[in-house]
Amino acid sequence: MLDYLIRRVLLLLPVFLAVSAIIFLILHLIPGDPVDNLLKVGSGPDARAKIEAKYGLDQPLIVQYGMWLGNVLQGDLGTSIITRRPVSSMIAQVLPNSLMLGGFALLFSSIMGIILGIVAAAYRDRWPDQIIMGGVLLGSTLPSFWLGLLLILAFSVQLSWFPVSGARGWESLVLPVLTIGLGGMALVARVTRVSMIDAASRDFVLLLHAKGLSPARIRLRHVLRHALIPVVTILALRIGWILGGAVTVEYVFARPGLGLTLIKALAQHDYPVVQACLLMLAIAVMLGTLLGDILQALMDPRVRSAMT
Amino acid sequence: MFMTLKKHMLAASVSVAALLPLSAAAQEATFVLGTNEVGIPSYNLLTAVNTNTVYSMIYDNLVAQDSDLSFHPYLAESWDEAPDGMSWTFHLKPGVKFHNGKALTSADIAKFIEMFRSTESSYMVDAIEKVETPDDLTVKFVMKHPDPNILYNLASSFMGIPDPDAVEALGDDYGITEAVGTGPFKLESFTLGQETVVVRNDDYAWGSPLSANKGPAKLERITFREIPEDSTAFLELKSGGVDGLLSIPTDYLKDISSDPALSVAPIPGQEVYYMPINVTKEPFTDIKVREAAAYAINQEEILQNVFSGYGAVANNFLISALPEAQIDPAVNISFNPDKANALLDEAGWVKGADGVREKDGKKLTVSLWTQNDSVFRRLTEVVQAQLKAVGFDPQIQTFDSSTIRDQYKSGEQQLAVRSYFWNNADIVDWFFGGDRLGYPNVSMFNDPKAEELRTKAMTGSKTGEERTANFKAYHEYVTSQFPYAPIYQPPQNMAYNKEHITMPETLHGTSITGVVMVDVEAKE
Repeated sequence: MLDYLIRRVLLLLPVFLAVSAIIFLILHLIPGDPVDNLLKVGSGPDARAKIEAKYGLDQPLIVQYGMWLGNVLQGDLGTSIITRRPVSSMIAQVLPNSLMLGGFALLFSSIMGIILGIVAAAYRDRWPDQIIMGGVLLGSTLPSFWLGLLLILAFSVQLSWFPVSGARGWESLVLPVLTIGLGGMALVARVTRVSMIDAASRDFVLLLHAKGLSPARIRLRHVLRHALIPVVTILALRIGWILGGAVTVEYVFARPGLGLTLIKALAQHDYPVVQACLLMLAIAVMLGTLLGDILQALMDPRVRSAMT
Repeated sequence: MFMTLKKHMLAASVSVAALLPLSAAAQEATFVLGTNEVGIPSYNLLTAVNTNTVYSMIYDNLVAQDSDLSFHPYLAESWDEAPDGMSWTFHLKPGVKFHNGKALTSADIAKFIEMFRSTESSYMVDAIEKVETPDDLTVKFVMKHPDPNILYNLASSFMGIPDPDAVEALGDDYGITEAVGTGPFKLESFTLGQETVVVRNDDYAWGSPLSANKGPAKLERITFREIPEDSTAFLELKSGGVDGLLSIPTDYLKDISSDPALSVAPIPGQEVYYMPINVTKEPFTDIKVREAAAYAINQEEILQNVFSGYGAVANNFLISALPEAQIDPAVNISFNPDKANALLDEAGWVKGADGVREKDGKKLTVSLWTQNDSVFRRLTEVVQAQLKAVGFDPQIQTFDSSTIRDQYKSGEQQLAVRSYFWNNADIVDWFFGGDRLGYPNVSMFNDPKAEELRTKAMTGSKTGEERTANFKAYHEYVTSQFPYAPIYQPPQNMAYNKEHITMPETLHGTSITGVVMVDVEAKE
């Protein structure tokens, strides 16, 4: 198992290098020169050269990348152009908010999704299944931006149960979590259902029935265990996705977080902040996949043996 | 069914609300900053590239500007201008104290002006040669050249007076953890991108004559929240989560006026929508074609159909409140399709079978740039149709609002739809000065006569009247050369919950400044 773990972590290194290179290059490929935004309108070429030297923009691209990567590995994400504060402290300030939102959304979508998936599989093709799958289809297709506004309208304006926006206390967390979680729940429910139905048709289930175990026991202790393997993979992939998907939701609910920081930085051409936010999102996706693979290996001995 | 449910809920929320005022009775209010004010990095004037409404709560200016753009005493009780414009003497109000207890003296002003010279906005004090302090309450600006606009600059939110010693002592933390001014409110806490809380300055006794209340503010505590999405901010106001929105898009005016709890207060407008015309790109090198494009814009139709009649048409480059906007009416540009058609005929562009004009086998196809915000997209489509009606074939190109400036710098644009936000005539210099081609001078306008008038207007005016006359002449000449077509002046409004707060009846300020805020009261 340890072997597997080390191998898996080492595999992340080339991925990290590739991702970091892409993130670094993206900002050099989009139109517009960052220096233009730093210069006072009407300043001469001297001022430009000075700023280019200050940010190392006069060096060849590969040297710039090396410098940037070196700093990143030491935890130095640069200084924000607009706020003139260290980017790492800005990220550190907003990251807990994003993690909390993403964490609860993931929790909500896994628990609700798995429960709904089990129920739907148990009542396959009968009315509970149809209702759940219908609702799930709706949930997975609603754009989160719009869903967020609808939830505000219903639960904050009409019912005044929760505050409209902001990040004060758990009340303000409910609607954003629901907005992100509903989409994830739909996906998890679908995958759980299909994989439950698939697992239930295997031979070992027939044997368990023959042994005289109760259907409920078979479903929850044996079938579910097998069925959860693809579900865990999906959930792990969603860790990064949920942080990224929170971008619009944070915007609608005016919640400070990685997404809101990214949007603002993009609009203000604050390149160091954009790079740092993208890097965080990419790292979240990578760690999510890693976690998914490890969990899968723990749950399924076949995966472990295939790797060694 | 839904309605009765809603009524029940309303009744329930009212009874709950009846219990709440015990805590809400204090003089507290929550406002949402305008979406264009979101994301201020700090409350340090000396590093600021943008300011927001909260600046004027913390800092007082030497002079205050009223909604009619006239100037009034503030920290300066009175001022004298030398007849040749070469010096200004300001007499400070006695007894003014900073939030840290230090008394405001002329030395603070002198030090602040020197520190201001190294900021992004240093042009505002460029005309000041040196600052003299004959006594503690007298500040004398000795000028390099006359600059009647100095009063405007001193009244701007960039030039509120901080304690220069505190700025130095706190370094990078200044404006984030602490900000020291003389304003009616003190900074309590600032959370980047989220909210700023200010509390009343109980020592305040130097209110401007523009405020009814000269003493400490009525509100004890104000929270300014940052909400980037307009609809979320609107729903916060509707649900009572906040007491006011400092700026609201025109789209919401109808919804707000139909809600009995809400009220709208107009703020002096500062925005003008216009269509820059690139004078260096064929076919717009021909002034007749530029003129035709300008006369093809139907301002009244745009006002009625795109903006539901809210606001006013624009007939030249400046907001109507400025005296420099009162140029010769014959030069003003308004819809005249016959003239547009006649001019294009004269220029040799003949209408083809498809309604598009042609000359020497070339079609009158032009690019029309815009940014991707919904209001610009909608407006640009109407402009496109209006240009089509006289025989242009405009092709819309949309850029995201943060990259369009870089695109303008390429100089490839022909026509564009954009807007600016400013309430001083020097904006003509900013957008048509020959040394800023591309951006901000999107029209690439560089005309020797205009440059001559520009220099005269910018640095050759001794008094306010002279400056107005010079800028009027400059503005008039630029307009007569058709490097742009005026479109629309949007109204600016704030919305508030009249069950929670009372706003002063008339706003004496260019926006919701500290001068206005000292008169705002929470209902108990």
